[in-house]
Amino acid sequence: MKRDRFYRRLFEIIPGALTWGTILGLFAFAFIRPVWVAIFVIVFDLFWVTRMLYLTTLLVFAYRRLAREKGIDWVKRCQELSPVDGLKCSHIYQAVLFPVYKEGMDVLRASIDALMRSNYPKDKMIVVLSVEERAGAEPWESAVRLAGLYKDKFFRFIATRHPDNIPGEIKVKGANAAWGAKVLKDFADSRKIDHSHIVISCFDADTCVEREYFGCLAWHYLTNPDRNRSSYQPIPVYNNNIWHARSIARILELASSFMQMIETMRVEKFVTFSSHSMSFKTLVDVGYWPVDMISDDSAIYWKCFLHFNGRYTVIPMYVTVSMDVATEKGIIPTIVKQYRQKRRWAWGVENFPFVMMGFRKKNSIPLGVKIRRAFNILECHYTWAVWAVIVSLIAPLPLLFGGGLFRQTTIGYNLPSVSAALFRVSMLTVLIFIFITVKLLPPRPPDVKPQKRIIMIMQWFFSPVVALVLGSTPAIDAQTRLMLGKYMKFYVTSKHRHISKQDIA
Amino acid sequence: MKHIDKIMRAVAFYTAVAVFLTLLPIVLSYSLGYKIDYNEFKIYKTGMIYVSSHPAGANVLINGRLHGDLTPTRMEELKPGTYKVEVRREGFYPWERDMEVRPNMVTKADRIILFPVAQEMKKVATSEIADFAISENGKIYYFTRYGLFRSDIEGGSLKKLSGYSAWPKNIIGKKFSPETDRLLYFDGYKVFVIRLDAGKAQPKGGETAKVEEVFASSDPIVDVFWYPGSSYIMVVSEKDIKVAELREGALKRNIASIYKFNSRPRGVYYNEDAGILYFTDKKSDAVSEEDRCLYKLELKENFFNNMIRMLVKRETDEGYEKR
Repeated sequence: MKRDRFYRRLFEIIPGALTWGTILGLFAFAFIRPVWVAIFVIVFDLFWVTRMLYLTTLLVFAYRRLAREKGIDWVKRCQELSPVDGLKCSHIYQAVLFPVYKEGMDVLRASIDALMRSNYPKDKMIVVLSVEERAGAEPWESAVRLAGLYKDKFFRFIATRHPDNIPGEIKVKGANAAWGAKVLKDFADSRKIDHSHIVISCFDADTCVEREYFGCLAWHYLTNPDRNRSSYQPIPVYNNNIWHARSIARILELASSFMQMIETMRVEKFVTFSSHSMSFKTLVDVGYWPVDMISDDSAIYWKCFLHFNGRYTVIPMYVTVSMDVATEKGIIPTIVKQYRQKRRWAWGVENFPFVMMGFRKKNSIPLGVKIRRAFNILECHYTWAVWAVIVSLIAPLPLLFGGGLFRQTTIGYNLPSVSAALFRVSMLTVLIFIFITVKLLPPRPPDVKPQKRIIMIMQWFFSPVVALVLGSTPAIDAQTRLMLGKYMKFYVTSKHRHISKQDIA
Repeated sequence: MKHIDKIMRAVAFYTAVAVFLTLLPIVLSYSLGYKIDYNEFKIYKTGMIYVSSHPAGANVLINGRLHGDLTPTRMEELKPGTYKVEVRREGFYPWERDMEVRPNMVTKADRIILFPVAQEMKKVATSEIADFAISENGKIYYFTRYGLFRSDIEGGSLKKLSGYSAWPKNIIGKKFSPETDRLLYFDGYKVFVIRLDAGKAQPKGGETAKVEEVFASSDPIVDVFWYPGSSYIMVVSEKDIKVAELREGALKRNIASIYKFNSRPRGVYYNEDAGILYFTDKKSDAVSEEDRCLYKLELKENFFNNMIRMLVKRETDEGYEKR
């Protein structure tokens, strides 16, 4: 037990220690060995530019795939499939679980209406609203009203209340989702529905699915021989309120959409993120979402990965689910909100100790796999935390603290111009981002002026500034907290919809 | 992931790796000042020369060969050694220097000023001018044999201020009062003040400036300063520092010697803003003329006024020199 605690703390400390070691080490070396730091900065800049170009190429591939698969009638395809392992399209139930905290009726209703618009047979769909008891009476009343409104529209519409203070749970979304899944299990068992016939999608309350989402999901589920050893990940876009969101928030959310698109091309390190789907049987077998971790979306993947001894994958689906941009009316509240949201995402670094502790106990996972996956988690969080700091804050340090002698060296003289040239090359990727942004944008609402489209394009030229402010700092914050054992609490990103005059009418 | 996607991703990945590995030695060697000789497959250290000039846009010749870019520019990948650098621009005197290039270092010549070959001269005033003074408010005062004249800074709006023409032959210094309403000038033994606003008190058509001798010294004058308010001057002679009151038309002026030098001062500086006078003097117990100290005398207004008051009083009692 004591040994376990020691190792857990050690694995909690490693990411933050690496990040701070890099930052402070470079800072110190800028004084004593400015030439070394200058060389490091130039190598890092070149690495970063090459990486940007490579990832942007993957983004283009992912976008092409998304565009290509857009017109596919997935339900029809499913129905045309001959039975696989005795499983047919008509056997598949789509369970949609919304863990709800204080999201308003308007947010939930839009999400459920999107389910209604999907072309999957509604008599094969089960909707579960799992409302936090501690959120008070209002969300529960909304859920009950919604259950009344939609009870005849789906195979089953369940509204349940997640009790507060269940032993072993902390106040996180995963606990609520696990509760909802248990209620679903009771229902499925009462109806004698085979768990492997249910595909469960755990959605944020503001998630609006595409029409073809469930068809696409069912097709992937049916055609995947390892269907129970896979999660199914759509591409999250933040289109619900994008026309009304602040530029800074739009850039960050679009960037995270792009990052998810890129990840679909790197399946060997692909991990579930935000709204995702999986076999209900698997979910029950692994013991549901973790009830004591904030990053439940990725943690469930790692839980399954450990459960299946490393034989668990995420299947990318080239359909989108649309969510809300975390925005506020003012610029400062928007930055604060974005910062908190990104810090929660960066808290995904808690997966590192979780996975490492799992690896210690799982001898059945090959060592090579353990090393590769541990490196993937560490590398992802490490680069997230240090890249903006190195590019923006460390790069000028040799010139500032290196002294007159350093400034007389050719590297001291060339450092700013070489860094600037590499930065300009990296800005070429912005053109691709603009193109894909325009392509992914939903139609402009009538209350938004046409000029806003220009802002949607021009905003990308401010992305370096946004990256400096909100690029690394949330990740450093999260890693530092984990390193110091100051564990984060779940911060719920509040969702408010912009109500246009048309909506009111 | 489709098979074709896998292939495309692999191609993209290995291309990126190849680009990184290819560019890394090129970028690093360039940044560090190394040059790769691909023909001989050798790497050698180089240095750089940076040249900037005012005005910019000058040609740079290095060992007689024209460099492609105009200033400001840099010449890279130079083998260590000495180079003759010339900066030339038409209409300006050329600049040249032998500059040493050291390995991995930048040699800078970044404060080159190119002076024009032919200055454009403009005649401001044509009269027989003995001397002149330019005030901070952009007026030129001419001391001529026909009197005192004033023009604007371009020589226009010329106006005769006074018919006075007995200018000393060797004017040592000229100083406007802080309020620029008076101008003092002095030669070796006398101080004169021109009241530039004297015309205000005169009937129309009268002289607008009035020249007055305000101080005569028996010892050679080193420097003269205005005290703020323009009602006193400080006269530093080789023997002492005196303050003299400027009272218009006074037959007798209050004059006080506030410091007597042990030896002729070699440097005098007056900070008008702080009201502090700095000077060097030989120590009283010094054996050698070189054994000197720098002194400072704070002449703030209140102190100065009180001192003057005190001196005036003492003057009566002790028979201080009065003019």
